[in-house]
Amino acid sequence: MATGASMIERMRDPSEASLGMLLLAPAFLLLALIVVYPIATLIFNSFFDLRLSGGGGMKFVGLENYLLVLKDPDFWNATWNTVLITLITVPGALVVGLGLALLANLPFKRQWPVRLALLLPWALPLAFAGLIFAWFFHTEYGIVNDVVRRLGFGGEPTMWLLRPGWAFAAICLTIVWKTSSFMALILLAGLQMIPRSLYEAAEVDGASKGQQFWQITIPMLMPSIIVALIFRTITALQTFDIPYTMTRGGPGNATETLAMLIHKTTIDYLDVGYGSTLAVFMFLLSLAVTAVYLRRIGRQA
Amino acid sequence: MTIPRGRSLTLIAAAIVVVNGFFPAVWILLTSLKTEAELVSKPITWWPHNPTLANYVQAFTDQPLLRYLGNSLAVAVLSTILSLVVASLAAYAIARLNLRRRQLILTCIVASSMFPLVTLLVPIFQTMRSLGLLNTYTALVLPYTVLNLPVCTLVLVGFFQSIPRDLENAAMIDGCTRLGALWRVVVPLAAPGVFTAGILAFVNAWDEFLLALSLNASASMRTLPVGITLYQGEFTFPWPIISAALIVAIVPVAVLIAVFQERVVGGLTQGGLKG
Repeated sequence: MATGASMIERMRDPSEASLGMLLLAPAFLLLALIVVYPIATLIFNSFFDLRLSGGGGMKFVGLENYLLVLKDPDFWNATWNTVLITLITVPGALVVGLGLALLANLPFKRQWPVRLALLLPWALPLAFAGLIFAWFFHTEYGIVNDVVRRLGFGGEPTMWLLRPGWAFAAICLTIVWKTSSFMALILLAGLQMIPRSLYEAAEVDGASKGQQFWQITIPMLMPSIIVALIFRTITALQTFDIPYTMTRGGPGNATETLAMLIHKTTIDYLDVGYGSTLAVFMFLLSLAVTAVYLRRIGRQA
Repeated sequence: MTIPRGRSLTLIAAAIVVVNGFFPAVWILLTSLKTEAELVSKPITWWPHNPTLANYVQAFTDQPLLRYLGNSLAVAVLSTILSLVVASLAAYAIARLNLRRRQLILTCIVASSMFPLVTLLVPIFQTMRSLGLLNTYTALVLPYTVLNLPVCTLVLVGFFQSIPRDLENAAMIDGCTRLGALWRVVVPLAAPGVFTAGILAFVNAWDEFLLALSLNASASMRTLPVGITLYQGEFTFPWPIISAALIVAIVPVAVLIAVFQERVVGGLTQGGLKG
């Protein structure tokens, strides 16, 4: 990029800034329309009693929606489920993803089957993963119960998706499977950037494989791990597709997430005021998580 | 890495990764080839005894699967083209022009992906409803375009920066205007980047569920994930037919990423690592 100064001078015509604005305008127009304006509308609406079903118009209610949310057991149930799913599936996907990345980083003669095996779960829609695993966990004809029976654990087959605890476990397992391969792809790219010479030097110094893993691989991988964790946490807080396709939030509302509650309130009940308030809480939750991560990154850098 | 490099160990490692990645799709494929009678026989069979394609025929006749396929394709293609155009312009400005605060501009675009989609859903639903745009392609194409802006812009900025500036300068010295140089020199050289960003955008749009379910729920406007999820059999959820429909829905994207896997991996890790 180092061209002669005179050349750069020649390029810097005065119209450059306006050309830049012209080129950036469509992107910012779309962002304003689909991100900024909706967020503003959302916060505004959260102070109103606004239902699209009755045709009764909007009534300013101040902070009443917020107080209702804080007293709403459904909100706390959904928030707890969301947080629990995040706390289980984010570390779960990291561990499984790291395992897959380490395996995939071995010197294979043919790279493509391994790479495709990591790409396929990533490309599969979450909703499809939910449907497929719902079939795996089917009480009567699912392969999970079949394997359990073949391994000799007889007795009554587990009703995976009909019991609160089992349903929750099945959902978490599905999320970990679906998300760990993206994690693995990011970590694999990180692994491939670690210079071999580091391991060779450690070998010379007599470091064991375990020491090499904890002293070289993990620290060198840290930037990739943090990026992957941020992405995964933010998406985990929005978990919707997999519980929706597997259980619709059931049994009861044992597996209902915050995103599902917002969807139900707004789309099914058309209660935009209350739905907006719930969404504000979701927004704050994500903001808090992002802030925590960014602070940690700041401290690391 | 540091694990002993025995040949059998490597093969076992490969087998674990491959089985983990392919097993669900393979199991659904096997299910889709079984007859209803075989499916409900116990103990369940793993390999279909009398493989049949009847489920595929039924998948297309029982529900408007072709229509879902068309809807998914239309929404994904339109939003991909739109995000590529918008992101290319923005990425070129960020990578090439002497703009102040270019890093801040890029951060603003990328940060928009940090907003939870569910929070945007409520106002977007309200707006689309009042504009009468529910159950139209527009309702999905516009949000998907914005959804894909961050990753497309990141990938394209990287590609534009990797094209030597001298090439462009030479073209301008030879009498090209800046836009002429962009069109004749930068665009052809950036084609691989545009293509990579395009695949990522396409897959994202193809996979999206929440907005599609909320904004386009009417039977004729459903995309594949919504159509298949909301499919109701007469009495129970018809798993063999669902499996066939899933295979039909998975194959196009699976072929796409199988053919272009190196680019997809490159784009994903670049978009991910820089974010």
